[in-house]
Amino acid sequence: MTTSITYDDKTVRRFMTASIFWGVVGMLVGLLAATQLSWWQMNGKFLETITFGLFKGEGLAYITFGRIRPLHTNAVVFAFVGNMVFAGVYYSTQRLCKCRTASDLLSNIHFWGWQLIIVGAAITLPAGLTRGKEYAELIWPLNIGVVLIWVVFGANFFWTLAKRNEKSLYVSLWFYIATIITIALLYIVNHLSIPTSLTHSYPIFGGVQDALVQWWYGHNAVAFFLTTPILGIMYYFLPKAADRPVYSYRLSIIHFWALVFIYIWAGPHHLLNTALPHWLQTLGMLFSLMLWAPSWAGMLNGLLTLRGAWDKLRTDPVIKFFAVAVTFYGMATFEGPLLSIRAVNALSHYTDWTVGHVHSGALGWNGFMAAGMFYWLAPRLWKTKLWSTSLANMHFWVGLVGILLYVSSMWVAGIMQGLMLAETNPGGATLKYEFVETLSQINILYVLRSAGGLFFLLGFILCAFNIFMTARSGKAHDDTVDVQILEKTKKDTMTIGESLRQDPVIYSVLSLAFMILWFLLPHHADKAALAVTLILIAKAVSLFKKEGNSWGHYFDRLLENYLPFTVLIFFAVAIGGMVQIIPSLLVNKAANTEERLQIPYTPLELVGRDIYVSEGCYNCHSQMIRTLVPDVMRYGPTEEQGYSRMGESLYDHPHQWGSKRTGPDLAREGGALAQGSKTMRVGRRDNLWHFNHFWDPRQTSPGSNMPPYPFLFDTKADLKSLPKRIAVQTTLGVPYPAMTKDEIEQSARDQAMEISSSLVQAGAFIPDKPEMTETELMRHLADTEIVALIAYMQKVGSYEIVDHRREGKALDPDSIRKQGKAEPAISPTTSKR
Amino acid sequence: MSDEPDINKAQYASKKGEVVLREHVYDGIQEYDQTLPNWWLFIFFGALLFFFGYWIAYYQFGWAKTDAERIDAAMAVISDAKAKALDEMLAKLTDDALVNDWATDPSRVAGGEAAYLMNCIACHGQDLAAKIDIGNGQSVALPGLPLTDGEWKYGGKPMDIFRIINAGTPADSPGHNGAKMEAWGLKLPPVQIAEITAFIISKNKQEFAK
Repeated sequence: MTTSITYDDKTVRRFMTASIFWGVVGMLVGLLAATQLSWWQMNGKFLETITFGLFKGEGLAYITFGRIRPLHTNAVVFAFVGNMVFAGVYYSTQRLCKCRTASDLLSNIHFWGWQLIIVGAAITLPAGLTRGKEYAELIWPLNIGVVLIWVVFGANFFWTLAKRNEKSLYVSLWFYIATIITIALLYIVNHLSIPTSLTHSYPIFGGVQDALVQWWYGHNAVAFFLTTPILGIMYYFLPKAADRPVYSYRLSIIHFWALVFIYIWAGPHHLLNTALPHWLQTLGMLFSLMLWAPSWAGMLNGLLTLRGAWDKLRTDPVIKFFAVAVTFYGMATFEGPLLSIRAVNALSHYTDWTVGHVHSGALGWNGFMAAGMFYWLAPRLWKTKLWSTSLANMHFWVGLVGILLYVSSMWVAGIMQGLMLAETNPGGATLKYEFVETLSQINILYVLRSAGGLFFLLGFILCAFNIFMTARSGKAHDDTVDVQILEKTKKDTMTIGESLRQDPVIYSVLSLAFMILWFLLPHHADKAALAVTLILIAKAVSLFKKEGNSWGHYFDRLLENYLPFTVLIFFAVAIGGMVQIIPSLLVNKAANTEERLQIPYTPLELVGRDIYVSEGCYNCHSQMIRTLVPDVMRYGPTEEQGYSRMGESLYDHPHQWGSKRTGPDLAREGGALAQGSKTMRVGRRDNLWHFNHFWDPRQTSPGSNMPPYPFLFDTKADLKSLPKRIAVQTTLGVPYPAMTKDEIEQSARDQAMEISSSLVQAGAFIPDKPEMTETELMRHLADTEIVALIAYMQKVGSYEIVDHRREGKALDPDSIRKQGKAEPAISPTTSKR
Repeated sequence: MSDEPDINKAQYASKKGEVVLREHVYDGIQEYDQTLPNWWLFIFFGALLFFFGYWIAYYQFGWAKTDAERIDAAMAVISDAKAKALDEMLAKLTDDALVNDWATDPSRVAGGEAAYLMNCIACHGQDLAAKIDIGNGQSVALPGLPLTDGEWKYGGKPMDIFRIINAGTPADSPGHNGAKMEAWGLKLPPVQIAEITAFIISKNKQEFAK
């Protein structure tokens, strides 16, 4: 029976338009952030010039780098690429299923809901409302919105699959399924938090656990939001545009399963050489290396599909964009494993090399795939010709120059800074350069990077204009086709149980299970588990040689059954996270300290920390001294200090280990209590230094590119919500003494007054309030955010030594190894001189 | 479209080295079923083997040091080198040498000035007066002590100055308004500390000439 259906292309047009719009906005914000690193005036002072003095001030809170950078990342990831992915998914899924999207209502809710979330993000992030976790900054009400809309999207998608008139699922759909279920899983776990107010919450994980969960999410957001859906889009649009068959079906099978299974394990490569347990770092590194081949399988299937169509490269901008995008994918997925090698990461991490790496993916892969798809779609969605092919070609070249400029300047900046930071004076006992000296060396590269970003943005604006003119020259058009209705009895006949009782599944599950036991079992038992794993793998290989055909039949049948297929994908992506995260959750928190236990924050210090998080200081400052000589020499040089231990940030919700050092590490800024004081601490630098530094960073550190924070000297610290915040912290396991509301507020006020008077005594004053008397100033400062923030700075990283040798921590290969070697647990704080 | 499974043809392809175009067409998209390139398989299996090998080497055989062992050993070497460099410097440094040799050697003083500008001005000011003029007749107080007023809280001998820079404010001192100087010996080599001392002396020539 045939019937005529009309595809819902209106939703595609909407998402595409939204993607282009938010793309321009997101890139513009990125450009602003990039220029801020070269010229601190871009944090607000430039407004004085362009408004002819209407705005007055050294900085504007809403556009300081720490707030703008999350806005940029969220905008380009979730708004630009997100909307682009939805456009591609809605367009191709309907055609691959030969049926209209299941529900127009759900499509509408999906579209408008998503845009509403983006607007919410664009308002809250500059306002300093954030969860303080990278790519997971949005506040909890927006998180709930994202989950709801994602469920709407998922429901609409799977419903469409159920209604499909195409028996078998094409490879694009595999990637879409993986995207939808994995993002849901990652997003929900990493956003678990307890609200303290409508706009603020604390994540339920803290310290090392939070770091682990965060980068499991952060890495796989890249994998399953910026990679897998785009691969699905590539598998549909590239052969369409090239008019050539896909290079290899079997390559797509192994590409898909290896990619989704291995990707999940690689998250800890963001935490190499840190306080993260070694076995997790090892897994992160090794799985990243194993990811190289599966990623390149995607590149191969893209590029080799173009065989026989390379002549189109000269004439068709779509092919140009796709070919370069896939090439950048290949480059970035080679660079990724390279950067995951612990020794390479020692140099590259925290530098601009990482920034360059993500941008070769974001600009090259995502940006150019998006452009190629837009140029291919626009004439079809508006039933016309592309308005200008030469303008699209110009976009291509301007954009490509932009990417190359961007990426190469970041390579040079990152490697140069990494080398400079590690360079020692003759004799090797001291470091040659101050941090700020390295910064001034790479400033020219920051300027070049901004130029690269500007080029890319200009190219993208050409694209926006071209698409707009194309749309105007045509008329919105929804494709109508005749399709044969596929009867229900002919698809989705396999039960989930049946799909699991199959050799390929059984052998995969068993060998995986024994492999995991091999990681986690005590000595000797682990060797047995390894032996069983290897035997199972050998058996599976021999079975495959013998019965490969039946395995192939099984997979072909699986593709005709979307639900069992989805269940298997879910298992494949869930395992990695479970193995890595659950053991660290089971370990008793207090036992997880490495002999150092963080001293909880006083109420005022907690307020200060929340300001630190809300200002996005973690975007430029790490709080993690790695187990590397240059790190220890620079940030933890005394024998008592050394590298950061797990316990030092145990109570930090969220952790603030950071991922980039545009400024120095702050893990040891804090210090002991000041003489004769019960609450006030003095760290590496005294209160007045911090006071001067926040007012004008260049006064204390000439050459610094940190934004000035004059607004902290006026804004009153939020003490009202403290009792609620402390209550939530207590719920999360932070050992606060029992305090009444009044005691909490009194404690905060006392400490603030102590700091404030020490500041005034040392001669502090606010340059734009010269008329204040000392007493007025003391009172004024005690109420402000700056004093709370100083209280936090003086506390960062304070810990006490705890003697714990609690053995028998199960599920931890490192302690098992230690027991096996039967060596005394060394305590670096007490050994040696 | 036939229901004949394509995999048989794919098998055939890998045996005969011919390329099969799968019969199924998805919205006009067809798929070849090329065999996997050998170099690609080599990378893939190589990485898998490396995974097993690395884990066995580290966790089963314990071949590599742990991070803690490695960094502690490296830092012990550095701290010995540091102590040795300081001992050597202290052996040849005297009050007299600092005033008459180091502080009169323009290259030493220039080196000291550069190090001072990099590390010290945040607290002691560019002109050593522990404050900065920010215009409008305002000046900002800095956390440190002035270094040109003839007062030396922790001892006024050249070697006292060297020692205080090297070791920081003594632990039992309350500091200046609570501010304590960090031990620069942890970050700067002794020669640079001596040069900074020479620079400070050169800025207080008359006093030290006595």
